[in-house]
Amino acid sequence: MRERLQEWVPRIVLAPSFVAVLIVVYGFILYTGWLSMTNSRMLPNNEFIGLANYTKLFGLKHWSIALTNLAIFGTLYILISSVLGLFLAILLDQQIRTEGFIRTVYLYPMAISFIVTGVAWKWFLDPGIGLENTMHQWGWESFEFKWIKDRDFAIYTIVIAAIWQSSGYVMAMFLAGLRGVDNEIIKAAQVDGASGFLIYRRIIIPMMRPVFLSAFVVLTHLAIKSYDLVVAMTGGGPGRATEMPATFMYSYTFTRNQMGVGASSAIIMLIMIFSIIIPYLYSEIRVGADKR
Amino acid sequence: MASLTIDKLIKSFGAVEVLKGIDLEIEDGGFLVLVGPSGCGKSTLLNCIAGLEKTTSGEIRIGERNVEGLHPSKRDIAMVFQSYALYPNMTVRGNISFGMEIRGVDKAEQENAIQEVADILQIGELLDRKPSQLSGGQRQRVAMGRALVRHPQVFLFDEPLSNLDAKLRVDMRTEIKRLHKRMGTTIVYVTHDQIEALTLATKIAVLEAGYLQQFGTPDEIYNDPNNMFVADFMGSPSMNLIDGTLVERDGALEVQIAGHGGSSISLPVPDGAEMRKHVGGPIVFGIRPEAMTDPDGADRTSPHIETRDCYIEVSQPAGSDTFALTPLGGKECIARFRADARIELGAFSPISFNMTKAVFFDPQTTGRIR
Amino acid sequence: MSHPSQDNAIESGRLIRALIYTLLIFFVIYYLLPLWVMVANSLKTLDEIRGGDMLAPPKDITFEPWRQAWSKTQIGVEATGLKPYFLNSIIMVVPAVFLSTFLGALNGYVLTKWAFRGSNLIFGLMLLACFIPFQIVLIPMARILGMLNLAGTISGLILVHTVYGLGFTTLFFRNYYAAFPTELVRAAQIDGASFFQVFWRILIPSSGPIIVVTIIWQFTNVWNDFLFGASFSSYDSTPITVALNNLVNSSTGVKEYNVHFAGAILAALPTLIVYIVSGRYFVRGLMAGAVKG
Repeated sequence: MRERLQEWVPRIVLAPSFVAVLIVVYGFILYTGWLSMTNSRMLPNNEFIGLANYTKLFGLKHWSIALTNLAIFGTLYILISSVLGLFLAILLDQQIRTEGFIRTVYLYPMAISFIVTGVAWKWFLDPGIGLENTMHQWGWESFEFKWIKDRDFAIYTIVIAAIWQSSGYVMAMFLAGLRGVDNEIIKAAQVDGASGFLIYRRIIIPMMRPVFLSAFVVLTHLAIKSYDLVVAMTGGGPGRATEMPATFMYSYTFTRNQMGVGASSAIIMLIMIFSIIIPYLYSEIRVGADKR
Repeated sequence: MASLTIDKLIKSFGAVEVLKGIDLEIEDGGFLVLVGPSGCGKSTLLNCIAGLEKTTSGEIRIGERNVEGLHPSKRDIAMVFQSYALYPNMTVRGNISFGMEIRGVDKAEQENAIQEVADILQIGELLDRKPSQLSGGQRQRVAMGRALVRHPQVFLFDEPLSNLDAKLRVDMRTEIKRLHKRMGTTIVYVTHDQIEALTLATKIAVLEAGYLQQFGTPDEIYNDPNNMFVADFMGSPSMNLIDGTLVERDGALEVQIAGHGGSSISLPVPDGAEMRKHVGGPIVFGIRPEAMTDPDGADRTSPHIETRDCYIEVSQPAGSDTFALTPLGGKECIARFRADARIELGAFSPISFNMTKAVFFDPQTTGRIR
Repeated sequence: MSHPSQDNAIESGRLIRALIYTLLIFFVIYYLLPLWVMVANSLKTLDEIRGGDMLAPPKDITFEPWRQAWSKTQIGVEATGLKPYFLNSIIMVVPAVFLSTFLGALNGYVLTKWAFRGSNLIFGLMLLACFIPFQIVLIPMARILGMLNLAGTISGLILVHTVYGLGFTTLFFRNYYAAFPTELVRAAQIDGASFFQVFWRILIPSSGPIIVVTIIWQFTNVWNDFLFGASFSSYDSTPITVALNNLVNSSTGVKEYNVHFAGAILAALPTLIVYIVSGRYFVRGLMAGAVKG
């Protein structure tokens, strides 16, 4: 009897966490999925209306703005962060004497809340007191930088702040990757006569493929979820110019009393993230299993 | 093809001197093995020859050319690395041709060269695979192919076999030797495996703690070691280094060695001015296990065999031979008996010492007394 | 074999090295600029900010904005400063971090040393849970918290942060324990140690580094969270990130930039200190968070 109990202890220990995750993650996903097909407004109700919310969602101008913004933001953010991260990692990999200090500086934004980042950049880019004003003070009277107040350009200010926040992280990922390159491979390339530049272009950077992939997944995930930074910097404005799916979901659900539409937008976000994460995790786990 | 000369080479990393004045020379077509325990500086020496590390002082000449300050690719060398260092993102073909591509060799010529080394190393069917799809032995061949295709003056090998399993290691060893015969190129080869050193080399350099301990042919290194380090490091099982006392009796020198219990044996020592300085003092008597045999197994061609009764404690059958352990000079010494020799444990048995193979060391300096 | 060689990276000329250092220093300035702007301007008077150069150091250093931000400025309806919200965050963070770390350690232990049929599937489901957009759980979570009478309370936030932190804490401990020699666990079992004795006596004493990594990761995430705080807190349980946002984006009154900057630094200070004190562990957490299955 005691033996049998011992056998069950591990499962009993794991059970609360597992049940909790099952309910609050998967149960809630199902519930939100159900809500997205109901006529819920301020409060949830169970009046089934099929995919009407999705039809409505994709007919909404706000939603298409949000998707366009996500596309612009996501593309620039992922691209620039990756390139900058790799570039900085390569620079830092040249036996820099103060590497520890520089690495610490490049990475500290990652420790800060997006809200704080948002506040700093919001006022730094504010034409009235920030960069523009400062340039005027320095005597460059014609300098103009009003992007954050401009409907067409506000989204790019969010890109700037987001890159500031996460490029150091990408740098750290690439640096770890570069440090993992077998020294003998570099020596072999030197014996083959390759120059420093060529060694990076032909051998080391191609070896960073897995890091590019991880960075892509992490950054995509952050881009789709990005909410805090937009709220702190622009609040989705000016107008709705910096609306993103995450802010859209929040405002439709909690301030516009269109819970059904909000739920359907959340489901779309989930589909976007999972369509990238699941193949990635699957391949990671398979590679891991192969190694064992 | 060219000779290689190393002259008073010193290499320091910061304040730490890793190579403390190395002098070596290997003739054109020779096979030089650098051997020594971990951290002795042998890989650093190889990297200095390759130009992958800057020397602190001294000179390296390939042929008549001083290669000081030359980029590795300009030294006319090729190198095979311990981890093989294959470019993981390129196919085998790409790995072999990368150097030629950089030198601007034209496509057709590249293809000929690739086919040539692929034939020599029998890797023709692997050319379009990536390194990750190859076995350890295949990677090893590709790494050698990448070196061969350069037709260098000197080949450098950095522990190329240490990542292979025992069986494959022996096969590849033979293959490298055959390759050397066929190409006739000068080779410098680093290993920590003394058997590899003895089987492959035409000249061996034994390094330890940044110093060249001995430089000579395998035969010299094995039979005529300069000091106790070389004697102990080369050979397996290693040479018995037996503590004894040098005494003079009736005008002749002999070494007295404590045996089992209160017993002792004494063996004659060749006379000489150098040796006489040690009379009455401690001396180390060095003899290899195969020169301590059962009387029937003694080397019949040897002019000088001495047989003594020794106490046998343990025997270890090893298939072709049996090793008998006997306490001499306070240590377990290994004698090599014929496999079918009758050994009585816990009793005294006669052991024949082949005194032509005996060597003597000064325990203070650890150097040879000649 | 050889000494760890210091100079096997690719060599470059002196001019190139100068260029490398210039670029590195340029980016050091780029990353430090916002922090400098916040610090410098949090020590200026409002007049100096309006009239002047944002990048310049303060002429007359004043700590008034800090005092304002900490205990005087108006947030929402009351002029309490950020102090009560800072405390809310602490009261929320400590139990949430402790609970999720502890459960993560137990889960990792079970998943690696007591794997049973289906445990890999369970791990897969918990791992996937790390990546959901939290928007998808906001509506049902709000309802459940209401049903449990936890709506708008700090306890509610603790619960939320604990359950949504489990995925990552389990991942961290599972990967760490996977490399822990199972022989040691078997040996302890042969010595008669029970499930929990093995955990407390064998696993936990050698889990120091991963516990630190997990605590830092969870601390940073929970402290910096905005979405859950904004969704599930009421005025007496608001965490500092939400309070800071309310302060900065309130549409009423004069914009006191210096107070905003001081408040922003206050909100960032705890995680910044943790990062500076134990950056090594922070980076390890980030790397592990970048998913190694």
